[in-house]
Amino acid sequence: MRFLLRTLSLSYVRRHTAKTVLTLLGVIVGVATFSSIESAKGTLVKGIRSTVDRVAGKAQLQITMEGGVPEAVQEQVRALPGIRATSPVIEQIVTPEKGELGSLMVIGIDLLGDREMRDYGFEGDDADLDDPLLFLAQPDSAIFTRQFAGKAGLKSGGSIAIKVPKGVKRVAARGLLTPKGFSEAFGGNLMVVDVYAAQELFGRGRRFDRLDVRLDEGVSIATGIATLEKTLGPAFRVETPGKRGEQMEKIVANFVAGFNISSGFALAIGIFLIFNAFNVAVNRRRRDIGTLRALGATPRQVQLLFLAEALVIGIVGGLLGTLAGTTFSQAFLKMMGQTTETLYGVTSSGIVHLPPVVVLESLCLGIIASLIGAWGPALTASRISPTEAFAKGTFQARPPGRSGLRITVGVIALGSAILMALRPPFGGNPFIFTELLLGGAGIVLLVGPLTLLLLLGLVPLATRFAPVAGRLSGDTLLGNARRTSGTIMAMALSLTFVLGLGGYMGSTKKALERWMNDSLTCDLFVRASANFNRPDFLFPGGLRDDLQQLPGVKSVESFRAIRPLYQGRQIQVTSIEYNLLLERIKYDFTQGDVAAMRRGLIQEGKCVVSDNFSRRYKLGVGQRVELVTPSGKVSFPIAAVVRDYGSDQGTVMLDRSQFIRYWQDDRVDIYDVSVLPGSNVGQVRDLIRTMLAGRYPALVSTRQEFIAEITKALDAFYALTRVTLFLALLVAFLGIVSALLISVAERTREIGILKALGAFPAQLARGIVLEALLLALAGLVLALPAGNLFAFFMEGPLAELFTGWIMSHHYPWEILLQLLVALPLISALAAWIPARQAGKMKIVEAIEYE
Amino acid sequence: MLKLQDVTKIYAGKSEVNALAGITLAISAGEMVAIMGPSGSGKSTLLNLLGGLDVPTSGQVIVAGTDLAMESEKGRSLFRRTGVSYIFQAYHLMPTLRVSQNVALPLHLAGMATKEIETKVARALKEVGLESRGGHLPDELSGGERQRVAIARALVTDAPLLLADEPTGNLDSARGEEILQLLKRINCERGTTIVIVTHDHNAASACARLIKLRDGRVEGDSAVAGGVA
Repeated sequence: MRFLLRTLSLSYVRRHTAKTVLTLLGVIVGVATFSSIESAKGTLVKGIRSTVDRVAGKAQLQITMEGGVPEAVQEQVRALPGIRATSPVIEQIVTPEKGELGSLMVIGIDLLGDREMRDYGFEGDDADLDDPLLFLAQPDSAIFTRQFAGKAGLKSGGSIAIKVPKGVKRVAARGLLTPKGFSEAFGGNLMVVDVYAAQELFGRGRRFDRLDVRLDEGVSIATGIATLEKTLGPAFRVETPGKRGEQMEKIVANFVAGFNISSGFALAIGIFLIFNAFNVAVNRRRRDIGTLRALGATPRQVQLLFLAEALVIGIVGGLLGTLAGTTFSQAFLKMMGQTTETLYGVTSSGIVHLPPVVVLESLCLGIIASLIGAWGPALTASRISPTEAFAKGTFQARPPGRSGLRITVGVIALGSAILMALRPPFGGNPFIFTELLLGGAGIVLLVGPLTLLLLLGLVPLATRFAPVAGRLSGDTLLGNARRTSGTIMAMALSLTFVLGLGGYMGSTKKALERWMNDSLTCDLFVRASANFNRPDFLFPGGLRDDLQQLPGVKSVESFRAIRPLYQGRQIQVTSIEYNLLLERIKYDFTQGDVAAMRRGLIQEGKCVVSDNFSRRYKLGVGQRVELVTPSGKVSFPIAAVVRDYGSDQGTVMLDRSQFIRYWQDDRVDIYDVSVLPGSNVGQVRDLIRTMLAGRYPALVSTRQEFIAEITKALDAFYALTRVTLFLALLVAFLGIVSALLISVAERTREIGILKALGAFPAQLARGIVLEALLLALAGLVLALPAGNLFAFFMEGPLAELFTGWIMSHHYPWEILLQLLVALPLISALAAWIPARQAGKMKIVEAIEYE
Repeated sequence: MLKLQDVTKIYAGKSEVNALAGITLAISAGEMVAIMGPSGSGKSTLLNLLGGLDVPTSGQVIVAGTDLAMESEKGRSLFRRTGVSYIFQAYHLMPTLRVSQNVALPLHLAGMATKEIETKVARALKEVGLESRGGHLPDELSGGERQRVAIARALVTDAPLLLADEPTGNLDSARGEEILQLLKRINCERGTTIVIVTHDHNAASACARLIKLRDGRVEGDSAVAGGVA
């Protein structure tokens, strides 16, 4: 085998370098996507975990509470038996004015009392806190890590501008941390400030984000947790830093798992490119295969020869893909980090390192993808009989094989997938996997026969517009059914994915936009934070009265959202003054009505739940939702169920009076301001800005601006579509280039004869360009219904399974338009090299070619 | 050595083609036999069946006591590796392999040790007079030389049966004569059974026996005057 690989295979590679490179690219693109996403994902998740661990220091337990831990709790905890020390902490991620320095994690701690918890590394020659008293006396004091200070060119005593909710603020470096332990958290991008200064800076009021606890020697963690839980009640969460890190890691890992779709897709396309390339290689080398078989090579030896070639391609492609992946991983980390910061308030900063396990996984994936792609063609090669191989033209002339069986199995697989999708979703991930497997197999099996049918219709049309080029391209495409359907299959699958994913994301966006238009109906929105999901500053509740006094203001509603855990999932609990809200919003009810909602929320202390909450937890009108509040567990009867897209995990809506009563927290995320008829919205906005200036951070947006900002945030979240679109176009390009290069090489003699008969190079070139266009068009036409089916599946059963949302289908016209522009350009570009090659062919050499 | 019993071969397709219509014949070990006939008479099909490249639709093809029709694909591959060697009209040399590598190919397939391969290849090349051309590519050789490489490749396995499909078909008369002399020498010196399919009367006259085919049937089977005894 080594001899055959060294001689036959290597010489084929040497003679067909371009084709080999294209085949390799299929593996490289797939593996690079996988390894970059995987390593970025790993760095993000581990970074978050490591930051939690490092920031925790010697703390054994951490106390948190939705909305923040009131200051008084610290004294209460400190007085308990078995508690050695407590330390309040505020954590906030900010960005320096110089954006290139990356996100900065601000840790607010009580510096004097915190030495029991964290080692700041002030001891030693290379670290120092200049003046502890000055540090505490000056509210702009901060300590930076040496690493960050070096990066920012910051010296002790120097200052740096950072963006905080109230605007840009300069903070002074009054000490530097030694790069070890605690100071290595968040990749070293750490800033330590006094916890009380942080309360003011980030609008925490008289609350901390958490309370770190160290137990007395001999007190077990279990005892500590039991004591604290008993004292504090169910509204507080008492857990070890490890558990908290795990929880954060889990939330983020679930989000980034979505990126696996892209890498899986890239690999699947890589498999098709390999399949295509090997199919053609078998075709081209059939005489060599025949000779080997005539000389006594067994079918197994022939199959192994091709699989060994695939193995080599898998190894080389895997290695190169892994290397290429490292260059994209940093960009992926940035993209993922920004989204997780926006969505979950956690992120990680640092340099992506390629862990050995990812290298190994990438390499294995490259090899497996390559072997899967080559398996079929290798099997075909092993079945070529010597007599068939020596008979000229029989291989190309042979029909693709049992198409009746293929169509039947394809229809059954696709039909089963559709029938399954029509039923309510069941079984979680195995259900999705089975659906995708059946649907994918159905499409793969049906694309071949459908391709031929489609081309039989398209070729006469092409011939009518371009008689010579149309006939030439049509003959080539129809005469090489295997190659043609292989190329179109890869293209159709990639475009199906793009249109399906685009359709799903478009539908989600459309549903959210419709919902926003219906529910965000006031004139002005007053926020303290740009982050919709995780506000980094909350207004005091009393501000509503001040706003209400302003001329031109009709009404002000105080919106507050918290995200507690409910049955292990992070749901949303929102509150607002519903007596005012129901005057301007019309809800879409799935259970109950507006009268029941008004009565239930305002008079009876009930709650209203979103449709997706109701589906997920199987709770409806008349049943109860039990929520853990600082006042204990409260069971809210459900008054109505409404369509709401505020949270993909479900929303529970309460009147503000109920929220304040049970959560004892009157802070506000957003003030919804409605202006009096005839008043100028712009003038009212100016009045609000003037009133809040210097007191609170304030982002005052009109309705249109507010909706546009949310839409922008959604677009950022759906950046994945753009990555996928790029991958799909790359695949289309690679697929067409490889198919055309092969087509020209195989038709060398035919092209020579045509030239000998007087064909112009331009005619031949036009034929090849038309061939490329027909390939792209056929791929797109087949992808249109398949993409729609995929989108329906994602919008229907999949969305219901993961979010409980039900949305109407929105066709991704924008993506289709982009494809209609991009595909012909890409096809023409892909045809350029093969067309030039054909034009330059020497007639005599071409005719002699075998 | 070789025995065909009522062998038929039908190629199925849009219209069936009866390539062989019940052939029965026997060839003894050490014989040098020519098979002649017009195009479409079934010569090449017969050779393919004898070489285990194809299987009959019905009947028996017994070579050295083994019915090839009953053998598995793997069994026929192993037979081709050691029991028979083939010379093709179009040579079927691997264009990217050097002459010596081409000759060594069947030995590599059989998994023979490199040292032994080198010895056998050198001997086979010497036998066909190409010992100095081992490092060349087939493209760098003349038609006659290419056919001699194909013969060396056939000899290197020491198979007792050598099948030649139009071995002189692509050569001029002088080069054709050279090849025939070489085959005769191999038959005489090694005792290799040789079956040649040919259109060339000159090639047929180099053999001791001539089998004539027409429409898939044996039309004549006779000794050749002055052929190899």
